[in-house]
Amino acid sequence: MVQLFLESDRVAELVAHLMKQKSVFAPHAKGRKSFAFEEVKDPSAAVLDYPRVMHSIRKFFFPPQETLMTFDLKENTCSVAETPAADAIFFGVHSYDLGAVHRLDYNFSEGNPEKNYIARRQGAVFVGVSYKPDEFHFSGSVGIDPYDTAGFDIFLTKLLDGYIVEALTPVGEGLLDGIELPAHEAGKPARGHFQQHIYLPQAKLGQVMDGSYQNEVWDDTAKKCVGCGTCNLVCPTCYCFTVEDEVNVQVTGGSRDRRWDGCMLRDFSAVAGGEVFRETLAERQRHRVFRKFKYISDETGQPWCVGCGRCTACCTAGISIVNIINRLVGDYEKVAVTPI
Amino acid sequence: MADKPRVAIFDFTGCEGCELNQLNFEDQLLDILAHVDIVEWREAMDGHADEYDIAFVEGSLSTPDCIQRIHEVRRKAKVLVALGACAVQGGVNAVKNTHPIDEVREEVYGQDKYLFPTLPALPLSSVVKVDYNVRGCPMTQIEFLKVFTSLVMGKEPVEPEHSVCVECKLKENECVFERGMICLGPVIRAGCDAQCPSVGQYCTGCRGLVPEPNLEGMEEILVSHGLSVDEAWKRLELYNANEVEGVRS
Ligand code: SF4
Ligand code: SF4
Ligand code: SF4
Ligand code: SF4
Repeated sequence: MVQLFLESDRVAELVAHLMKQKSVFAPHAKGRKSFAFEEVKDPSAAVLDYPRVMHSIRKFFFPPQETLMTFDLKENTCSVAETPAADAIFFGVHSYDLGAVHRLDYNFSEGNPEKNYIARRQGAVFVGVSYKPDEFHFSGSVGIDPYDTAGFDIFLTKLLDGYIVEALTPVGEGLLDGIELPAHEAGKPARGHFQQHIYLPQAKLGQVMDGSYQNEVWDDTAKKCVGCGTCNLVCPTCYCFTVEDEVNVQVTGGSRDRRWDGCMLRDFSAVAGGEVFRETLAERQRHRVFRKFKYISDETGQPWCVGCGRCTACCTAGISIVNIINRLVGDYEKVAVTPI
Repeated sequence: MADKPRVAIFDFTGCEGCELNQLNFEDQLLDILAHVDIVEWREAMDGHADEYDIAFVEGSLSTPDCIQRIHEVRRKAKVLVALGACAVQGGVNAVKNTHPIDEVREEVYGQDKYLFPTLPALPLSSVVKVDYNVRGCPMTQIEFLKVFTSLVMGKEPVEPEHSVCVECKLKENECVFERGMICLGPVIRAGCDAQCPSVGQYCTGCRGLVPEPNLEGMEEILVSHGLSVDEAWKRLELYNANEVEGVRS
């Protein structure tokens, strides 16, 4: 693989070069200390050095809110909105967030393929960037390295004074055509260390989770959890939604809209007639964690959590998914070694 | 469409900030009026109606007279909708319920206190059956329009049960906790489109608590972010004293 070198102060030049070919979306500073993926208008505003974006790039393929169709109550007709393809370059994506997109690809194409998601995914090009794990990342424990280039068209590996640039696909090579970058001779630097680890060997994942249904960790967590749903909404592999009809004030028409929803929310588990099938916060927390480490994992052999650390970083109650899993592992080990 | 629904609007103890005329409804007012006949509205017209289909009621109940009047409204209305925090959960008025009632009367009316009988400030639902709520202080305009169109169409309005955090996340707002503020959003009902956090303010809880709130959990969150236990509960009481008092004591 050819490795090129991009000096730090030429990043905006690379972004501008890419913008000539397709729309470019990249992390931007937002609020006091947060970052969000937005369309690049000014190449120098794109940020490559950031811990994590508030929402992963999932939001471009599965938007927080969207109109599925509009209807006319007078004519008794409806029209389904056309879903445009993304057809854009996503610049500065971390490996765990692309890993999450690959998981969503599975969720939205298995069984009943979800046509809006699939349509939006078309033409998406990914430029990755390495990152230094902070106090919340634990991707290493779920098999996603900060240098993991899987699925990227171009990957940038951070050096002290710039980036190693690798084109990994013909699309990536084509995008770099016309920008002069010197070759990079030395190898890649050592990756940053993770500060957070889950002690769950992948081979044992199934066994540990199988024995966890009755664990006390669920009740203990529920004492602190307020059921706000933030951990679901920020998770890059959560894909639940709800659909509602809105009618305009003239009562002549309206729209059918959908928005993100999540299993920590009481109204998510309420069904017609008022029955709530996961009444307690303990049951809901268990369900959330099982969705990440058991149900889909039993099918695919892979954890469905990518270790981004968002759910923990954003939980105002300080609930950590790493601590939950480590407690399950600890209890499993204890059970496993205790003679009966 | 059959006959237009007859609508009556009433106010009890509150600032009257919720009533329709106080809101910036100019754009929608004509559309609203096209679908209903307003038959009673003290703020805007004279006279009383003997019967109506929908009663919109603002304000909490805080005197014996209020109790009598709300029973009358309930008898005459087919559907009763509570408008705003005072009517839905007692609102700011209910903070007085956390103090002995005699002290409150003395503070407000001084030596005339015996002329003004007063009760704890109660939500409408503690005295009569309330069919639907439009929450907020002042009531949330988008929610009023949703409830209104549902009723005109004969549909059941959907009341959100999830937290303000959900709406905040849908808009990808930076959480105000990140700015060192303290927010009640995690246990407060959505429906306002996270109005306050969206402009960098914290949620004070005007739309009321989510069903089955974990208030001890919320106390822990507030305390871990720097409030004392007492401050934490005072913060929660501002708009939700009636519900919070029940849990705390
Ligand atoms: S973010 Fe925290 S408090 Fe909110 S639902 Fe998730 S675990 Fe519970
Ligand atoms: S469960 Fe938490 S750490 Fe795992 S992918 Fe979701 S938000 Fe990230
Ligand atoms: S600002 Fe308030 S409502 Fe918004 S996410 Fe943070 S805690 Fe929740
Ligand atoms: S954010 Fe909170 S205080 Fe502000 S309008 Fe909504 S519920 Fe009321």
